[in-house]
Amino acid sequence: MMKQDISALMDGEMHEEQADVFFDKLRRHPSARNDWSDYHLIGDVLRQPDHVCRNLEKAFHERLQAEPTVIAPRNHNSQRVRNFALSAAASVMALALVVWMSVQVGHEPAPQVAAVQQSGEVLPVSARADEYLMAHQEFSPSADVHGATTLVYAVAGR
Amino acid sequence: MQIFAFLLILMGMGAANADPVPTDESNWLKTMAFAAHRIDFSGVFIHQAGGNIEMSRITHVTDEDGEHERLEGLDGGRRELIRSNDQVWLFANGKRLRAERRQFRKIFPSLLPEQITALNENYFVRQAEEDEVAGYHAHTVVFQPRDGLRYTRKMWAHSDSGLLLKAAVLDGHGYIIEQHAFVQLAINGKFDRSWIIRDAAPAEEADRQLRLSSMPQGDPAPETGDWQVDSLPSGFRKIASMRRTFRENQEPVIHMVFSDGLAGISVFIEKVSGMSHFHSGLAGQGATHVYNRMVDDSMVTVIGEVPARTVILVAESVRYAGR
Repeated sequence: MMKQDISALMDGEMHEEQADVFFDKLRRHPSARNDWSDYHLIGDVLRQPDHVCRNLEKAFHERLQAEPTVIAPRNHNSQRVRNFALSAAASVMALALVVWMSVQVGHEPAPQVAAVQQSGEVLPVSARADEYLMAHQEFSPSADVHGATTLVYAVAGR
Repeated sequence: MQIFAFLLILMGMGAANADPVPTDESNWLKTMAFAAHRIDFSGVFIHQAGGNIEMSRITHVTDEDGEHERLEGLDGGRRELIRSNDQVWLFANGKRLRAERRQFRKIFPSLLPEQITALNENYFVRQAEEDEVAGYHAHTVVFQPRDGLRYTRKMWAHSDSGLLLKAAVLDGHGYIIEQHAFVQLAINGKFDRSWIIRDAAPAEEADRQLRLSSMPQGDPAPETGDWQVDSLPSGFRKIASMRRTFRENQEPVIHMVFSDGLAGISVFIEKVSGMSHFHSGLAGQGATHVYNRMVDDSMVTVIGEVPARTVILVAESVRYAGR
């Protein structure tokens, strides 16, 4: 049941009401969170090599060799990916034009993931963060990879 | 020299106002510098940031008026963006939503020498394996940072035309956290141009929406010069600073941009009233992190393609030194 929900959400096939229920469930059940995290981890692993079809096994094997902790469930990185992925999924459902969804991490001025875990709430940091993001990308050298990919966020509807 | 050429593409130099690349290195890297702006191409690329993945089609053509670009989101909602030089139109389901004028890094070309130095100080640059992306042969280059305050970057460039085929940002463990990559691409073909918008009217509308005023460099205006950013990772230099207004806010916002040649960090300072409940917070997706905090009655927002600890470090060091 849970797995079907996750899959539906990731494919964008879930209604907003259903999604609310789902997110609520996710908050209350650690096992559901594990599933969610695992699904994204699998997705990430699949996506990270050059193209999914190219040398997938080899790339996967090499990565396992290089970083055995990739399958450790609750490490620093996977935790962060999970939370941000959550916020991204939520923003898709909000159907806002350029919504830079984000995670409120509380008052601690520290990057520790612990803060993210405690809060668990998905709140926009600032109503203007999306405008700021676009403004930043006008100037940031790394934002310009194809010429106009700076604006991918706008087109993607985030 | 190679670094120089790579740098140029990273900065997305417009061909129109670009200085010529020094000619003593006549290899493919030279062409690459301008490829993204001078070459006609059309293709589908994926953009992956964290757990999120988007697919878009991009068409880029040039003519006597300059550059025209069309970007279409392929993930439902049918969003589309058309750009002619610095003018941008945004559409959803065929309906025009808004028009804007954007700056597109005109500021960079004059800062190149400094940033090359910065690049060498902050990154190990090396050429990596040859590869194939979207059916094209590619050269790759890796920029590996010398500290943990920025990310590793890897770029794949088409061997013949120099067009950037793929770009990835890697974290300290070598995992890709954000990437753009063409999955299908045609270079120098006959592409449809019927979508190009040639009326000038929206420009005025855009100017009303997004008013930019430059802050004189090295001559800080009293009201902005009093804001200080005390702590930046080594090699980050201020490349722009301005006061600008955003549509929702009439009060001008201070915007400072810092770069180490590859990564950018923006600092926004905005006066806010009646927001005493506002909390500081961190957000992020892929390589981009956003952190904000209140300093007296101003909100400081720091955005950059750098690790979370870096935006926090910078934001926490912002202070008002006036009065």
